[in-house]
Amino acid sequence: MTFDWGIVWHYRAALADGVVMTVLLAVATMLIAIPGGIVLALMRLSPLRPVAAASACFVEFFRNIPLILLVYWAFYVMPVAIGIEFSAFATGLAALSLNVSAYNAETFRAGIVSIRRGQGEAALALGMSRWQVMRQVVLPQAVRRVLPVLASTWVSLFKDTSLVSVIGVSELAYVSLQIRSQTFRILEMLTAMAAIYWLLGYPQAKLVDWIHRRYGVSE
Amino acid sequence: MLGDLDFSPLLESWRYLAAGLGVTLALSALTVVSSLLLGAAIGFARVYGPVWISRILTFYIDSMRAIPVLVVLVWMYFAFPLVAGISLPPFWAAWAALTLHVAAYVAEILRAGIKSIRSGQTRAALALGMSGVQVVGKVVLPQAVIRMLPALGSVVSVTIKDTAIAATIAVPEYMERSQTLAGQSFRPVEVFTTAMIVYFIILFPATRAVDMLYRRLAHLGRS
Repeated sequence: MTFDWGIVWHYRAALADGVVMTVLLAVATMLIAIPGGIVLALMRLSPLRPVAAASACFVEFFRNIPLILLVYWAFYVMPVAIGIEFSAFATGLAALSLNVSAYNAETFRAGIVSIRRGQGEAALALGMSRWQVMRQVVLPQAVRRVLPVLASTWVSLFKDTSLVSVIGVSELAYVSLQIRSQTFRILEMLTAMAAIYWLLGYPQAKLVDWIHRRYGVSE
Repeated sequence: MLGDLDFSPLLESWRYLAAGLGVTLALSALTVVSSLLLGAAIGFARVYGPVWISRILTFYIDSMRAIPVLVVLVWMYFAFPLVAGISLPPFWAAWAALTLHVAAYVAEILRAGIKSIRSGQTRAALALGMSGVQVVGKVVLPQAVIRMLPALGSVVSVTIKDTAIAATIAVPEYMERSQTLAGQSFRPVEVFTTAMIVYFIILFPATRAVDMLYRRLAHLGRS
């Protein structure tokens, strides 16, 4: 069997569009999932039992189902349940956001809980307002604990965007698989797809390690 | 609308779905076992092996962290036969791809567990005249394994979730069977909602059990 690697270069424009879509999808998901995670974490820490329980159920449910199933579910069930047709992009974005929000909620909750209560009480005793306590005592420490985990979640999310290819969102995996089936250049296209993901993901993985070393808190 | 739900196709095809669930569990179990073995070998070689082996393995682990499971699965099933000249049936292609992927995570967990045991303990044990193997087997590992438990437990649930992606290469596991049934019965709402609940029922107790086990044993890992 002979291989024709020129095919990868030939379709460079389509592949580049796929990369742009992958990045866009990951960024948009994070932009939704960070506020989403904060809201869910605050709900979870709320003194109101039903609010805390609702958040706990949401988080546990979406952390304990496969993402690819959530993508299919969003594609087939969400439009029926809500009565609105979504584009493939919006559907994929919704599925990814539900999943990542649940993970982020746990990250933020762990970050806030990890700051001992004595610190907040001490700051209040010194005459600081609640807002000052949050901003000047709790958050600066919590950020150090949250940031490395968020960075890891980002890398997972970047890879997980490939799963929305199953509902036809034209990101990198979908574009590569389409070109593969049009040209029958299976080995070339699949290897190129893996190589492009590697080129994008490897520096990110290394960056995450650096963030863990730089900001990670070891007890 | 959601008013006229009809779950009868699910009831009629329950054997078909149950067989799929069996494949999901079998693939998960095989992958967990092989990933633990391969991951342990990679992890030990990375921590205690010579520098050049350590470099190669670090590169392998970081590459697996960078490439989506879907891509590894599809490559293993469609592209690998063109290079190797032997084609793997979908189940074994999925097993190989998932093992390569999950083993990298296991290796990373093992490394973090070993690194979390302070080096003073190793030096003290060496000073007492213990051999390298004794230090690792009697001092480092007994504590490290306990600390690794929560992460190793998450490997189990991650593996079960990742087997669902094997549906893309037509492994007849639960996800793939749900897709087929949804297509044949024109009842995607019922089929996929049921699938969500089924996966949750499997995965939630798995994560809880590991948490509880860890809480019981955590004191053994303290130093």
